[in-house]
Amino acid sequence: MKAKIRQFVLNNFLFTGSHEDLDNDASFLDNGIMDSTGVLELVEFLENEFQISVEDTDLIRENLDSVNRVCLYLEKKGAAACRA
Amino acid sequence: MRFSRDVLRIDAEGEANRICDFIKDQVLQRYKRKGVVIGISGGIDSALLSVLCARTLEPERILGLILPEKESSPVSEPYAREQANALGIQVERVDLTPILSQLGVYEKKEEVIKRLCADYDPDQDKTKIALPWNLLERPSLSIFSLIVQKPDGSKRLFRLGADDFRAILAAQNMKQRSRMIQLYYHAERLHYVVGGTTNRTELEQGFFVKHGDAGVDIEPIAHLYKVQIFQLARCLGVVERILNRKPSPDTWSAEVSDEEFYFRMPFETLDLLLYAWNKGVETSEICQVLGLQPVQVERAFQDFESKRKATWDLRVMAPSLCA
Repeated sequence: MKAKIRQFVLNNFLFTGSHEDLDNDASFLDNGIMDSTGVLELVEFLENEFQISVEDTDLIRENLDSVNRVCLYLEKKGAAACRA
Repeated sequence: MRFSRDVLRIDAEGEANRICDFIKDQVLQRYKRKGVVIGISGGIDSALLSVLCARTLEPERILGLILPEKESSPVSEPYAREQANALGIQVERVDLTPILSQLGVYEKKEEVIKRLCADYDPDQDKTKIALPWNLLERPSLSIFSLIVQKPDGSKRLFRLGADDFRAILAAQNMKQRSRMIQLYYHAERLHYVVGGTTNRTELEQGFFVKHGDAGVDIEPIAHLYKVQIFQLARCLGVVERILNRKPSPDTWSAEVSDEEFYFRMPFETLDLLLYAWNKGVETSEICQVLGLQPVQVERAFQDFESKRKATWDLRVMAPSLCA
């Protein structure tokens, strides 16, 4: 799961294959990795890749603003997402 | 100076004189042009600029351009004319609807809206996009929703995906860029400059369109926070109806204020927080003065930082390899 998320962010926002460029705890928004519209792209990816529905109330930094936060969010969303 | 609710109060007459000197110097000396063209929208920023220019230059050196289109508010034009008449400045009107139709602005937007809202009727329904209100009360990210307003007043909300949001924004931004084209046509034929109406709140948070409303020659009020625009406008006699009108982008058929569309909180609070953020005021002091919790201040500052970072390119010249 973490690897897929990392790959998505590296490919679509950092435009690099170099994994050292992305720290799992780095804030996407504070570090300029993505803006709010970029978060929407991330949300669409998560919904398609992990078969979840991201509610409007889930659109908060705590759930979406770093690789590790996204992983924790997916775990909260249920077992199906985590098995992916 | 200690942080307080009065920290943005200005000496209106002194500030007006300073701006008027700036306008005179820039227009007549630096640019060596004969006057100023202003896009007058019936809103407070362009009204204030008109008043300041009228204090500086003879009325015949100022041209107010009214640039309505089919989605403009019905009050924009009469308010703009009232302000222009009060100042005795010339006005010309150019309806942008045909140009925008040719560019496919309405069609491109409708395509997205119809996909999201199956029963959308462009002849009956009104639309707008907006960010979640109020940032201080809700931790949600600044993600736009489309709002479709039915004739009976009911509203339907649709969260916009990234592609849909970008498609709508790109289409809408053609409105500001079309206005810019008209402003420059008249400025160039008259040998005038185009006067900008961006204020500091908008400038810092990236609430303007590249080569749209930012496509201007001078920005005489870009150093003023929105609340200071209001202060100055009240003191200098901007018409009452404009003073009482909620600032709006005026690019959507449904009424939407700037606060609702982009800033996510009232200007009275926003500008004080922006000032505090810029000046590095301690969170504890901000909380005490504004009656906020630390988490609210942190949330506001994070949003400011995100918006500033995301719009960096609006405030710089295009990067190049020039030495």
